[in-house]
Amino acid sequence: MTEQLAVDVRGLEKHFGSVHALNGLDLRVATGSVAGFLGPNGSGKSTTIRILLGLLRADGGSATLLGGDPWRDAVELHRRVAYVAGDVTLWPNLTGGQAIDILSALRRDVDRTRIEKYLQLFELDPTKKARSYSKGNRQKVALVAAFASRAELLILDEPTNGLDPLMEGVFTDCVNEAKGEGRSVLLSSHIFAEVEKLCDTVTIIRDGRTVESGTLTELRHLQRSTITVTIDGDPAALSKVDGVYGLTADGPRVSFGVDENALPGVMRALAPLSPRGLISSPPSLEELFLRHYGLHADDAEPTAKAASR
Amino acid sequence: MTAVTSERVTAGAQRSGRGRTVDGYAGFGIMVRFILRRNWLRILIWTIVLAGLVVVVVQSQRVTFPTQADRDAYASIANTPSVAALTGLPYAASTIGGILNIKIWMTLAVSLAFAVIFLVTRNGRAEEEAGRTELLRGGVLGQHAYSLADWAVNAGFTVVVGILCALGAISQGLPVNGALTMGASLMGVGLVFVGVAAVAGQLAQTGRGANTLSVVVLGVAYLVRAAADLQAHGDNPSGLSWLSPIGWGQQMRSYGENLWWPLALSVGTTVVLGAIALLLERGRDVGEGILPDRSGPRHAAALTMTPIGLALRLQRGSIIGWTIGVLIGALFYGSVATAMANLLDGNSAVAQAFSGGSKDLVAGLLGFFAMTNALLISAFALQSADTVRADEANGRAELEWSRAISRTGWALSRLIVPAGVSFLLLLLSGYLLGASFGASVGDPGQAGRFAMASLAYWPSTLLIIAFVMFCAAWLPRAASAVTWSVFGVLVLVSMFGDLLGAPDWIIKNTPYTAVPRVGQDFSAVPLIVIGALALVFAILGLRRLRVRDMISA
Repeated sequence: MTEQLAVDVRGLEKHFGSVHALNGLDLRVATGSVAGFLGPNGSGKSTTIRILLGLLRADGGSATLLGGDPWRDAVELHRRVAYVAGDVTLWPNLTGGQAIDILSALRRDVDRTRIEKYLQLFELDPTKKARSYSKGNRQKVALVAAFASRAELLILDEPTNGLDPLMEGVFTDCVNEAKGEGRSVLLSSHIFAEVEKLCDTVTIIRDGRTVESGTLTELRHLQRSTITVTIDGDPAALSKVDGVYGLTADGPRVSFGVDENALPGVMRALAPLSPRGLISSPPSLEELFLRHYGLHADDAEPTAKAASR
Repeated sequence: MTAVTSERVTAGAQRSGRGRTVDGYAGFGIMVRFILRRNWLRILIWTIVLAGLVVVVVQSQRVTFPTQADRDAYASIANTPSVAALTGLPYAASTIGGILNIKIWMTLAVSLAFAVIFLVTRNGRAEEEAGRTELLRGGVLGQHAYSLADWAVNAGFTVVVGILCALGAISQGLPVNGALTMGASLMGVGLVFVGVAAVAGQLAQTGRGANTLSVVVLGVAYLVRAAADLQAHGDNPSGLSWLSPIGWGQQMRSYGENLWWPLALSVGTTVVLGAIALLLERGRDVGEGILPDRSGPRHAAALTMTPIGLALRLQRGSIIGWTIGVLIGALFYGSVATAMANLLDGNSAVAQAFSGGSKDLVAGLLGFFAMTNALLISAFALQSADTVRADEANGRAELEWSRAISRTGWALSRLIVPAGVSFLLLLLSGYLLGASFGASVGDPGQAGRFAMASLAYWPSTLLIIAFVMFCAAWLPRAASAVTWSVFGVLVLVSMFGDLLGAPDWIIKNTPYTAVPRVGQDFSAVPLIVIGALALVFAILGLRRLRVRDMISA
């Protein structure tokens, strides 16, 4: 494992007829890290993943998977990759246990001890026919096969789709454990809390294009934090300070947004007002994400605030 | 419709508010209409085909056996073990009605049984499995209303089929009493299997399981009566016949003695089965069966973990089914060829068409049978190879393609299964065809000769498999429709090209007619040409599959 990047996608393009699914998408997963991949339905997450798996062929740009070409070297690379689809289709007349064995055998990587361990973690009965499995249980079959493998890279496409909250917890532990084993994870998801908890880096895409990527700290860097504080005196003075936005007051309790780089000046202006009970909240991933979509994307701040309440 | 419906439901619920038993049937009428609405076309087609067959067969038998002398001649040779085993004892073979019974009664009875089994399950257990019954039962609907409506519609369907079959026969001038008895005997068989399917639908947890259970009962009923007919004294079957619901229908002896009392057995059994099904339904939860869904193995067998092994495992049921069907067919054809040749006038157009212009009618017929057999095996191969496309469409290919197997390797594993199985089937069925024919003429040497003649169709089967691969790769969305249509045309032209008046150069050059038949001079050239074509289609298909995007449905 000499590559620095487990996944390196640059300027990726893909169209289906006249529909442009990907328009210059960038995505990087550093070796040994967990990368979050966020975007609404139809933004191109699954298309990107299918290109990485060599199921679809890119029309432009470059994609490198574990140092190889995902299309040309598909078979070789797949020995080192485990994939969980968002909607797992199994063979209805085989049991979950049989399906896990078959999926593992296709990678020539059947470790019964590990399979047993993850079966127990996910509380999956492997003797049931896939026909009788619920959506969540079908998902568990693919998850057990993926975690039990020794693949260097786990590609997980909305893997917790249909899992209950307890199982989502188990999933979180498994991803952390995989990371501890030095494996890389690409996690496409809709669940912000999950991504915030698990991921070292985040890539947000829209309409087949990357709009934001980096570590969560980096993403938060240029964003506005929300500050709530109790002060003495006239809050109006604060509204004149550079970098303060949307000041509202409820008696002595005020709250406002502040740009990261204006914070020192704002703090100086606050100090004479004897601030108490100060709470500073960094923007949540959800806020970061929503900034790029819907009304936030059009920079319509007031309306957006109203909408988000 | 909606307004009327809800009024009725409310009224039903209020009327029956006193006791659970009455309550259990609330909404029965609405469910009857609901089921009819969802199935009327299916029921109509089954009815027309079954009753229509009666009319068509009477007419064709009038042509085949125009005079009483012809019928008497037929009656003198009709009582062979093959006829007895397959269609029952020919007790009135010197009348058109009796011949009608020999030719079509068993087909009608078994088809009707299949029809009600599938229809009862479709509207019963399959709906419950899909969760739609829960939706209905969540509303104001009695516990038994839906099931009872299902059984009632199917019982009504068998009554209508029975009446129409009788009317069809009467319209063709057959004796009224015999025709009515025949209709009633078919109805009786149908009714019993409505009951069987009703009970199976309560026992099994899946639609598939319910159908399997009922079809097994049907199979046993068929075999029991076959055994009874083979142990006949003259034209009376042995007592074993009374153990089979199909036997009860035969025992009515339509166009012979015309006995009505065996019908009481059928109707009585149906009522008892219905009562049992109701009792079972009363004691269980929605969605649950009485038989548990069997757990399967915890681990996959070593063979299943290889790509070819997986393909074999997934198609296990279908392979076993086709093998049994093809082998029984071969045994039957071989044993009746001589008898059929004796019956056919060698100079008639029909005989010439079937025997491919061969001078020796028996050899010609056997050659025709071998080709038919090869077409049947090709149908299996087509269906099996079609999983290349089906699995890509339903998303299971994604599961495998994202593992360490190349698409070419994956596709080859899916093509080797039909190729290998069809090789074995051609060899075995050819051998059995020859062996059973050899047994009827006292020449054991025929088995090997026919095995080889049958194997000559292997390249043609490979061509079909390769064509499926080609279409799956180049025309993924249209592949199934294109391959089945092309195959359908091939079957028609190869088997009935002469009767349909197709041009000679086409008839003689399909992948099946170009293969030298038994009794003709052998030439390897057609086999090589067909094999080469298969190779070209396979290579073009595999290459395309390797370079194109995955295309799900």
